[in-house]
Amino acid sequence: MKPFKVALPGSIEQASSLQQSSDVPFIAGGTDLLARIKEYITTPEMVVDLKRIGGLGEITSTDHGVRIGALVTMNDVATNLQVKEGFAALAETIGNAATPQIRNMATIGGNICQKPRCWYLRHEGYSCAKNGGSGCWARDGENEFHAIFGNQVCAMTQPSNVAPVLVAYGASIEIQSSVESLEKREVPADQFFLTPEQDPTREVALKPGEIVTAVLLPAKNRTEKWSYTEAREKQSFDWAQASVTVLYQRGGRRGDHRVVLGAVSPAPLRRADLEQIIAAGELDADCIQALQKKIGEGSTPLSQNGYKVPMLRGLMAKAIRKLNGEKKEG
Amino acid sequence: MNKRADDSPEGVSRRHFLKGAGAAAAVVTVAKIPSVTEAGQEVSDDPVIVGPGSISIRLKINGEIREVEAPPSTTLLDLLREHHAMTGTKRVCDRGSCGACTVLLDGRTVDSCSMLAIDAMGREITTVEGIGTPENLTDLQKAFVEKDALQCGFCTPGMVVSCTALLNQNPTPDRDQIRQGIAGNICRCGTYQNIIEAVEHASRKGGK
Repeated sequence: MKPFKVALPGSIEQASSLQQSSDVPFIAGGTDLLARIKEYITTPEMVVDLKRIGGLGEITSTDHGVRIGALVTMNDVATNLQVKEGFAALAETIGNAATPQIRNMATIGGNICQKPRCWYLRHEGYSCAKNGGSGCWARDGENEFHAIFGNQVCAMTQPSNVAPVLVAYGASIEIQSSVESLEKREVPADQFFLTPEQDPTREVALKPGEIVTAVLLPAKNRTEKWSYTEAREKQSFDWAQASVTVLYQRGGRRGDHRVVLGAVSPAPLRRADLEQIIAAGELDADCIQALQKKIGEGSTPLSQNGYKVPMLRGLMAKAIRKLNGEKKEG
Repeated sequence: MNKRADDSPEGVSRRHFLKGAGAAAAVVTVAKIPSVTEAGQEVSDDPVIVGPGSISIRLKINGEIREVEAPPSTTLLDLLREHHAMTGTKRVCDRGSCGACTVLLDGRTVDSCSMLAIDAMGREITTVEGIGTPENLTDLQKAFVEKDALQCGFCTPGMVVSCTALLNQNPTPDRDQIRQGIAGNICRCGTYQNIIEAVEHASRKGGK
């Protein structure tokens, strides 16, 4: 690892003004950035350590909902009572992510800003549309874990497990920057995660100097009936191959359902067509069949990841059975 | 300033070398580094910027305040092993996937390879050296011996730290909870079954 300077700002303003370009990364938990520095994928002269900034480490309940400070660790999010009560799918998705150690270190802000796990992007010998070159090596190369939807420009998958769940809950990402004279802006989660068509070089809607300060969960979307299902190769220290988040009657509103797919596209994929199927009838075998028929629609699998389509069908069925309280696995 | 211990000339023990290097480094003056536990309390006009050269890093390790000169880009793992010669904590994958470097930070397990040492300032660090001694093993460590919970032994310090944290939080874990507790620790010899039995054994004895 190449030694680097560490800036230790005490305020958002200081931290923001230290980052003039993406060559000066922010560090919080460190679990993603330090690995990339050790691999020489990024070799910063300086990193900006956010850990000494006050007010980012708490979960607070407001009239509008739950505010999770960006520096709250994944474990503290997953075990928080307010999160578990109203936004249980979020606790569930974190519950088994990575390893216990990582969940004690990694922060919610860092989790949603982590870099894609694409092995070409994480290899110093390749450049692509994401990092100054052009094209996508995975499209015609090794693409077992890559995207099956929206993969024309870049076949990355959004690596954050919580991203699709945040989209489903209609969460917002609170962002601050000294450039905008410290004015907070709130970006809805479905606009925070970018597609390569929007900008191949960025995965999230952060400009230089902008810092995620909190994740906001709206009280009006607290949901009692939900399910999160996920498939991955290993039980620990692995990323999802596909996930399905379903919120049934979101916020207690009849007809307001959310179906969001994860790990199959560069950004979380909300599927209004599947939500309509759920709204149209009962959560029965016919519904499962209709969802399974529809879920692969629009996918463009690559040479090695066609398995994700039947995987999604299986996860979708499991998600509906879970909504019905059936314990049967499969 | 502080050369890496690997660079030491032959015949000089690591411990002696480190002592010498520590004395030589003592003349360096450095800016006060705020600790993470003081977040937001005192904001100076300008942010403190340290490195890439060595600075003084003061940590509380196994109840003892210890100070050493090291670059701020040093991970907690490398600081423990190479600057404090505390080699119980193992360096294996160095990427947070294997758990051999597990230490406790304020009682919680973390991968010491994946965090900066300066981010542990102001917090209680417990390494395997702080959990029992060869003469006075903890109940869990005795159970590891009795139940043959190791083969090559390289994962053992990390396993012991993770299992200690598990029993502190939950003195009577069931098998699933034990599996969850060691989900971040890899044993390449595959001794998981005996490790689980050792934790159950220690739990029955009510020990830690």
